[in-house]
Amino acid sequence: MLRFWLQAAAVAGVYAALTMALAPFSYGPVQVRVSESLTVLPYFTPAAVPGLFIGCLISNAVMSPYPLDFIVGSAATLGAALLSYALRRIPWLVPLPPVVVNGAAIGAMLYYLYGVRPPGVPTALSLPADMGFVAIGEAIACYAIGLPLLKYLERHRRIFEY
Amino acid sequence: MTIRVEHLTHTYNKGLAYETKAVDDVSFEVADGEFIGVVGHTGSGKSTLIQHLNGILKPDAGRIWIGDIDITAKGVKMHEIRKRVGMSFQYPEYQLFEETVYKDIAFGPRNLGLADDEIDERVREAMSLVNLKFDEMAERSPFELSGGQKRRAAIAGVIAMRPEVLILDEPTAGLDPKAHADILSMINSVRERMGGIVILVSHNMDDIAATTSRVFVMDTGRLVRAGAPAEVFSDAGYMRGVGLGLPQATEMAAMLGLDGEPGAGVGAAAGETAPGTILDMDGLVDAIVSARIARGPDAIDGTPRGEEDRNGATRDEKGVGE
Amino acid sequence: MIRDITLGQYYPEYSIIHKLDPRLKLVVTLVYIASLFIIEDFFGYIIVAAAIFAVIAASRVPPRFVMRGLKPILIIIIFTFALNIFMTSGDVLWEYGWLHVTRQGLYTAFFMALRLILLIVGSSLLTLTTKPMKLTDGIESLLTPAKKLGVPTHELAMMMTIALRFIPTLLEETDKIMKAQQARGADFETGSIFRRVKALVPILIPLFVGAFRIAQDLAMAMEARCYRGGEGRTKLNALKFKRRDLAAAFVSAGYVAAIIMERILL
Repeated sequence: MLRFWLQAAAVAGVYAALTMALAPFSYGPVQVRVSESLTVLPYFTPAAVPGLFIGCLISNAVMSPYPLDFIVGSAATLGAALLSYALRRIPWLVPLPPVVVNGAAIGAMLYYLYGVRPPGVPTALSLPADMGFVAIGEAIACYAIGLPLLKYLERHRRIFEY
Repeated sequence: MTIRVEHLTHTYNKGLAYETKAVDDVSFEVADGEFIGVVGHTGSGKSTLIQHLNGILKPDAGRIWIGDIDITAKGVKMHEIRKRVGMSFQYPEYQLFEETVYKDIAFGPRNLGLADDEIDERVREAMSLVNLKFDEMAERSPFELSGGQKRRAAIAGVIAMRPEVLILDEPTAGLDPKAHADILSMINSVRERMGGIVILVSHNMDDIAATTSRVFVMDTGRLVRAGAPAEVFSDAGYMRGVGLGLPQATEMAAMLGLDGEPGAGVGAAAGETAPGTILDMDGLVDAIVSARIARGPDAIDGTPRGEEDRNGATRDEKGVGE
Repeated sequence: MIRDITLGQYYPEYSIIHKLDPRLKLVVTLVYIASLFIIEDFFGYIIVAAAIFAVIAASRVPPRFVMRGLKPILIIIIFTFALNIFMTSGDVLWEYGWLHVTRQGLYTAFFMALRLILLIVGSSLLTLTTKPMKLTDGIESLLTPAKKLGVPTHELAMMMTIALRFIPTLLEETDKIMKAQQARGADFETGSIFRRVKALVPILIPLFVGAFRIAQDLAMAMEARCYRGGEGRTKLNALKFKRRDLAAAFVSAGYVAAIIMERILL
């Protein structure tokens, strides 16, 4: 049981460290958070669910210019992680929940709470555009990095045992 | 291939109240084929210094020439530098990531854009140089290897790039005695096989004394001594002053009063000036034997300086009795 | 770049704000954020601004540190401002070609920008004056009722504490791994976004394996010291309400009252 929580702490730590190390890209309307590639981890272990949640919480609390990121972003990450865990039987579907959930939640937050309207987009489409931009950033992290990560870690599955 | 460093300075936290000069106006030259040792207390700037040589860090002031390329000039391609200068960091086994040992060692050459057959040749060569049996190890996961094997695999990854300058930061750290010795002999055989400059950063003075031809001593960012090991280690007081030790044999010789005194060296007849500092156990044994021959069986009984020997006589300054 | 990042924005000082119980600070911050969405007019903003300036002064954190949190989103603020000024319809005040500035636009732009700034500044104050560890303790304490619902608050808080403790270590590891791979020719700086992204795998895998190894070792160490989980566990530095926290609570209540009254009366 302890190992479960410590593995979760490891995931949280890596997530937070990566987000902070690559700081300029990690916050703002076009977020390419490399750490989001870790959202494939629920494929290997359920400890990744609280791990991702807390990792996101820490990164947001500590360095985000958007204080509500703290609540909305982290909740979205938790929800997405749970869904990813549920989908763990199908590898290529695992990175999908974060893309969709984060896109929708963070996009909506940016639109309603911060009034972010992307340049060059007619106002009627601003909400979907906000969501779209976040989703694109997520997709790059989750699919372009996440899937190769999954493939590599598959070979080292042993480290996830407890 | 030569290295030239002129007035290299690197400042951390520039402009802030707590800015520190990690490397302070360091200049030196290294000729082709030299084996250089870099020593210094923790925080003396040796790691910072060597990270400039392969372009990972950029200096705040000063210039560095690797061969005929000024790597501190604007617009220098990292690719060009990394082709020439290879570096292995402390605990390099933590950089292993690939699915197989083969693929991990091939990572470097692949980044250089080499063709597959060239890569294959280099991986095989590197593995044999580090004594990892190709047939047994190539297809295994790097994470299955033992500590010593992992380290050798990691270093192989750097060797496979065939750098003209090989820098090794504490390659023997944390290894058991056998693995430690294996790595040292591996470094020597790599050097023989590939030529080029080798730079060894280490806390282990015995390793430095045994392998290098010139030693650079770093102290709080400055290069304070540069010379042959015998020269550098002969000044025990200074070395202690900058927070460093000496090779074990040298310490022992100092304790027994054999350091560089007339007649104490190997083959020196009584009255002749000794060849100088004792750096290894062989030298120490020879010196003890010579001293006993020269001055009789009581010459050395192991009593440290300043204390009473079994006859009640106090060892004088020199420590060696009549 | 990595070296210069300090964990969080904590600014060490001796001020009453720094010494307040983190639970109080958390709740007050939430109340403050909520208040920003209640006020609608100029006077409301005056109250909020006055309050926040008072807190900044009391915290003894140099204003320029507080403003630092605004830097990353300066662009957003300016952008939203410009967009609102030009795109809102209403009584036109000034025209130039197809750009027109309306009174409503000016109003909206100004207030949206102001709200955003106050939001950021207010929440920055929380992290500027509270150590991450204390924040964790505060959150764990506040979430105790959730325990009754089966939420493992102690384990989550422990996880957070351990993760926080290891982040500097992991950051150093990331730095080292990056340099080691760079020394082997890995390139994170040039190339298309896809290439650069693939180049991250040689960093992620070792980082990951390393972090999990630490977790294993730590688990063994904790078990060896008879760690048995959260039941009946006591804290070394338990959070205790002091008189100053009570005083701060009163002041905050006063603030809330002022906001509500302003809203109702004006």
